[in-house]
Amino acid sequence: MADDNKDKKATSEQKVGVYVCHCGGNISDHVAVEEVCKNAEKIPGVVKVQNDVFMCSDPGQELIMEDIKNGTVDRVVVASCAPDLHSSTFRNAIQRAGGNPYIYEHANIREQVSWVHHGDQATNKATRLVAAAAAKARELQPLEPFKVDAKRHVTVIGGGIAGLKSALDLARKGLDVALIDKSPFLGGWTAKWDRAFPTDDPVSELVTALAGEVLNSEKITVYTCSRITAFEGFIGNFKLTLTQAPPESDAYEDEIKRLSDSGKGFGEFVPLAGICPAGIPETTTTHDIETGAIVLATGFLPYAPRYGEYRYGESKEVITLPELIRIMAENRQKGVGDTLEINDRKIRSVAMIHCVGSRQIPGIHEPDAKGNLNEYCSRTCCSATLHAASMIRNNHPKTRVFDFYRDIRTYGRGQEELYEEASDSKVVFFRFEADAPPEVTRNTGSGDFPLNIKVKDTLTFDEELEMPVDLVVLAVGMEPGNISDLVEMMKLPVGVDGFLQEVHPKLRPVEIAQSGVLLAGTCQAPFDMGETCSAASGAAAKASAILGKGYVELDPFVAEVDLNKCLGTGTCVNACIVEGALSLVEMDVDGEKVKRAQVNPALCTGCGACVAVCPENAINVKGWTLKQYEDMVDMIVSDRILPSQTA
Amino acid sequence: MTQVYPEFADELEGFGVNTTMDCFNCGTCAAICPLIYEHFPRKMIRYAQIGAKDRILENYEDLWRCLHCGLCIQTCPREADPGDLILGLRRFVVDHWRRT
Repeated sequence: MADDNKDKKATSEQKVGVYVCHCGGNISDHVAVEEVCKNAEKIPGVVKVQNDVFMCSDPGQELIMEDIKNGTVDRVVVASCAPDLHSSTFRNAIQRAGGNPYIYEHANIREQVSWVHHGDQATNKATRLVAAAAAKARELQPLEPFKVDAKRHVTVIGGGIAGLKSALDLARKGLDVALIDKSPFLGGWTAKWDRAFPTDDPVSELVTALAGEVLNSEKITVYTCSRITAFEGFIGNFKLTLTQAPPESDAYEDEIKRLSDSGKGFGEFVPLAGICPAGIPETTTTHDIETGAIVLATGFLPYAPRYGEYRYGESKEVITLPELIRIMAENRQKGVGDTLEINDRKIRSVAMIHCVGSRQIPGIHEPDAKGNLNEYCSRTCCSATLHAASMIRNNHPKTRVFDFYRDIRTYGRGQEELYEEASDSKVVFFRFEADAPPEVTRNTGSGDFPLNIKVKDTLTFDEELEMPVDLVVLAVGMEPGNISDLVEMMKLPVGVDGFLQEVHPKLRPVEIAQSGVLLAGTCQAPFDMGETCSAASGAAAKASAILGKGYVELDPFVAEVDLNKCLGTGTCVNACIVEGALSLVEMDVDGEKVKRAQVNPALCTGCGACVAVCPENAINVKGWTLKQYEDMVDMIVSDRILPSQTA
Repeated sequence: MTQVYPEFADELEGFGVNTTMDCFNCGTCAAICPLIYEHFPRKMIRYAQIGAKDRILENYEDLWRCLHCGLCIQTCPREADPGDLILGLRRFVVDHWRRT
């Protein structure tokens, strides 16, 4: 490859410092650190080699900072743990010493060496990785992060408990917020519940508290009956178009009827519907919104059982848990008797079946129309079921409850107590295997019970048991909400389970690959209300941290076009995976109008797809140039530092 | 096929047992029981929970094997007093004999 001699000359004088970490024995128990240091002294360009028990400790960082301040070194390599863990630690140390943080290269000799190799092999591999990093370090150029102005405005999509909580937290931070819901109501699925476990709070209080404050906030503009119909831009500078329209004919019919029947006004909580802030629009309007960040709080859908699944749809006596909750909530308004009643029918015994639409197993459960199986646990249904079971037993002592489970997980504070309470209130438990679910049939035997249940009960040593019941309740799980329009428009990452997927479940739990777009609540995974609010606050905190300064700083590791080499073939534009990150623009070169590639650094993710395809080698990712890779590879295979191992 | 009869737990209260439904079927009692007898006393407790009276009467002899050592009562994580339940079931069996 034709190297640029001018560049080579400029970089051949860099003074590289190599700092090798023992990681308190994590590395030095398997890697002979002294030998790695001795070998590192032979690497071209290396002027100083040091080691320390913990490079990330203050004294360890001081070693680097001293050498930078004295001018002993001007390129730094630290050989230690994974770069995710501490590369920012060392970049910051360099910056504090007055250096540019991008003259830094990391060699991972813990996860990639000492944790997986031993003896000479470990020491040799560590030496080669350090040599490669040092070779790259010589080529590193000081870089500056991009500054992009950012609108101090956040758009929250979804007016359920997650959206309300996010919007409030953001407004309290002084940011302007647009809160959007596709329905005429605020409160989401929370508003359609009755009492929330484990505290037994009425949801009316939760929703009223949150939505009340949202509607009073001058910082928050609420748009109901609205959908995002256009999306463009990047972190700090998104442009959205909202379309606000009357609901389609039968949509939200039940909720609207409840609103008019309740005699409640706008802004007041309507049981099993939510809070309608401002009525229903009669005409379609559009709004353009410029916004700095987007919080997705689009929620979930309860699993809808297939026709015939546990006789659902075939027998009116088979209902879902959300349906039961609504009936019980409505009954309470009428007053309750010692026996649960549904449509004036006394329920003497009820069977509750867990894991309906959750934890489905290929080969055992039937996939849905699209071929999907919900293999995940919905996490909330065990506690919700037991909470409801105790509610039945406490309010209606003459109604018996049979609980059929595969496993019970009432995890979390105050939730094991739900199991205790159900047990205390004499709920009878049965346990079935996934491939032998309880069998619900019409009761043809004696008695006037409409249904009969048979189960092979593992708690009774696989004996077959049967019991007649008046009602079967299916504890349905959570499914991803239908947001395919947003997924398509915003190119959102979807996990194998169909929920939106974060960058990393622990390190970046509310962020997705698109900078400036955050996740709040059950659009990401099944969460209970408490977890949903935690996630919502997390997303709000993240959004306000991003926009707090009025500008965002972006990593400089983006593509850069060398206009001396670019011929405007457009190959890179075709290879680019992010719409708008690369384009061909017209420019003057030597008085001639030509097309050349241009990078939008705010959108470029630095993936390198363009670098791989450019026939002229005219495009590179800063901090990761082809030349740097070549030098790393040269040094890995070089026998200057270590004798070749092929002998 | 065994019919489930959940009222049995209430019936047992008349025989001095009010912990029938506390058991969560972990099997600690059966593991600690010196009788090394198949699933005793766990199986009996389960029959009591689901109200399988016939099963209890069929297997009444098991109830009289119990040594009343108290190990199951000491180790039960749910404090469901398995040994006392066995005593209560004996009273139920005796009562049932007298009546039939």
